[in-house]
Amino acid sequence: MAEHILESISLFLPEIALTVTLCVAIIADLILKERNQNVAYVVIAGLVITTIFVLRQTGLTETIFSDMVAVDPFAVFFKIVLAVSGFFIVFFSMKCRELDANKKRIGEYYMLIVAMMLGMFIMVGATNLLLMYLALELSSIASYILAGYTKRARDSAEASLKYVIYGAVSSGMLIYGVSILYGITGATDIYGVNAALQTGDFSPLALLTAGILIIAGFGYKVTVAPFHFWSPDVYEGAPITITAFLAVASKAAGFAMMIRFFKVSFIDTALLDTAGVWDIVEGFQWNIILAVMAVLTMTLGNLVAIWQNNIKRLLAYSSIAHAGYILMGLVVLTDQGIASMMLYFVMYLFMNFGAFYIAMLISNKLDTEDIEDYKGLGYRAPLVCVAMAVFLISLTGIPPTAGFIAKFYLFAAVISAGWYGLVLIAAINTVISLFYYVRIFRNMFLIEPEGDTSKIEFSLSSKILVFALLIPTIFFGVYFRDIVDLAQASVKMFGL
Amino acid sequence: MLESYYPIFLMLGIAVLFSVVMLKASTLFGPKRPTDEKYTTYESGMEPVGQARDRFSVKFYMVGVLFILFDIELVFLFPYAVNFYELGLFGFVVIWIFLAIQLIGFIYEWKKGALEWD
Amino acid sequence: MDLYAFFFYFFAVLTVGSAFVVVFSRNIIYSAFALMFTFFGVAALYVLLYADFVAVTQLLVYVGGILVLIIFGVMLTTKVFSVEMKTGTLNLLPATLFTAIIAGMLIFVFSATDWNVVPDQEWDTTVYGIGALLVNEFILPMQVAGVLLLVAMIGAVMMAARDWTKLKSK
Repeated sequence: MAEHILESISLFLPEIALTVTLCVAIIADLILKERNQNVAYVVIAGLVITTIFVLRQTGLTETIFSDMVAVDPFAVFFKIVLAVSGFFIVFFSMKCRELDANKKRIGEYYMLIVAMMLGMFIMVGATNLLLMYLALELSSIASYILAGYTKRARDSAEASLKYVIYGAVSSGMLIYGVSILYGITGATDIYGVNAALQTGDFSPLALLTAGILIIAGFGYKVTVAPFHFWSPDVYEGAPITITAFLAVASKAAGFAMMIRFFKVSFIDTALLDTAGVWDIVEGFQWNIILAVMAVLTMTLGNLVAIWQNNIKRLLAYSSIAHAGYILMGLVVLTDQGIASMMLYFVMYLFMNFGAFYIAMLISNKLDTEDIEDYKGLGYRAPLVCVAMAVFLISLTGIPPTAGFIAKFYLFAAVISAGWYGLVLIAAINTVISLFYYVRIFRNMFLIEPEGDTSKIEFSLSSKILVFALLIPTIFFGVYFRDIVDLAQASVKMFGL
Repeated sequence: MLESYYPIFLMLGIAVLFSVVMLKASTLFGPKRPTDEKYTTYESGMEPVGQARDRFSVKFYMVGVLFILFDIELVFLFPYAVNFYELGLFGFVVIWIFLAIQLIGFIYEWKKGALEWD
Repeated sequence: MDLYAFFFYFFAVLTVGSAFVVVFSRNIIYSAFALMFTFFGVAALYVLLYADFVAVTQLLVYVGGILVLIIFGVMLTTKVFSVEMKTGTLNLLPATLFTAIIAGMLIFVFSATDWNVVPDQEWDTTVYGIGALLVNEFILPMQVAGVLLLVAMIGAVMMAARDWTKLKSK
């Protein structure tokens, strides 16, 4: 046993590096009394080491810690996405003025970001329901605290409280569903669950109950309707850096866990005839439920986003809508669908972070999150506003941007699986989304500035960060072959 | 195994019975000769200041939260402790990794002054 | 009725009954104290299921810790003793219907399902087995739980410390 554990540790280095980073960050915060971003540098160093360890795991397909965690291309892909988003968030946070008001406890802020990342890293690899739940809780608890980071601001406290209460309810539902699933199958690891389900010796009604409860728990994490209702308030109240992190990284980790759980637990290996298409075991057609949820999510997200005046709230609803699009990839039960989901996350990372970052820069300078205050900004800060326009075009899914490629592959995967109605609804939704993205665009460029018309200057490092997000957004829209190949190669999970 | 719990159930029953009987007995059979002095909160002590139903300081809550966290830590240590000899050096190292993580948290609290009352 | 069944029904009634008091009592302090009996009843049910370690944990953590914390939380709140709690009067009909449907569904599921049960036998104390598993098969969940506790500590200190500047200067 001890040898197995030592062997496992050598394949668990990224997570261990994050844990050590967390501990070092705490100690550094205690030793380095001056609060000038010292902890941020510790975290960046830790993230670099973590990323190196993740990159060394490419190509492995192993299971470690007595089948608790899988190290496979699927997990590694998501870990890279998470690590990249972690870097961006730390850089954003160092620039964010909203956080300056609480400079005294900025150390804790970075510690909790690391803790959240650790939870998400374990989420994407976990193959045991027990560990999945623990990892989900780890990342959730860290994000509850972060959502209320600017404690004195009323919205932030409200966000944190709502987040905790809804989070507790949905994690209770998740664990209840898991316990029923355990009662049917007698296994907590998803391969054991699958083996028990394939015998067909269970009552379908209990499985349905367990499945719905588990969907509710996961759905909360990835903000799909009808479990999305917490997110607009939380996204609006939390510091904007945390909002961006929740909208991208937290969602990616939640989807990764959801994909692994549903694919591995419910796959019927006896019916694997065509490559890349799989069937689910009799008794619980979870993909129909998810299809309904996807339609609800994208329609609701887009329709409500039209009426928003607060940029954070608008981006929150837009990210709900995007969760709906992404969910389609899981509904169709093909590897192509999952590959396109993974591709979508890469593109979504750059374009969504871009939109959030520019909203943050404008809020830093003008102290406003109201879209009406964006009027004429195109003349006052041309570079930033052009970048914003590109991100918005990409979020809508218009060529030649990354968002188009992401949507193209996703819609293609759904069509080739024969779900035409779903694609039609998604296409209509894309048109609706154009409406509110264009509104920001119109306010920035087509309306003359009123009052103050002075130019707004941004620091060099802010501009570099904008370019770091802008270049991939355009680049992946033009040259996408390699990233598509990578996503398709990374679909492989352990044991399948 | 369940037989070993019978004394506990028995003790619970006796405890409930005893407290109910004692309270009832004193109200039923005890002499009642009330005076104003007897109705004060502290019959032979100081005058009470303010109300008992006052707001608590948030510090109590803080101590409560930290207590629970260390309580849970203890729950993890207990099964290890009863197996101390069987698990050997390996178990010792494992439990110390767990403890080291908690220890960092403890140092953090201490240094931040969360354990100080004022 | 054998003694086992007697104890089971006794504690089941205690648990459910005190849970009703928790929900329907208009005085939040009464609710908090009724919760103690709920937790206690659940601990006794664990004992009847041969989960002795879980039962002790339930007593230690829930009755000994979380309940005290809840009562602290109640006492932190201003004028909580005089405020009438709104219980059961809000959306009474839809809530009752919804609860009844869910309860009915769950009861049906639980009674109709062919559960994966372990053979009925006398079990030894579980704490040795749990200890061995925690440092072997379940070593990773235990360490993750350790990190979770650490994060909770940081969060507690961050959230509960009212005057942060004063704390820092110490």
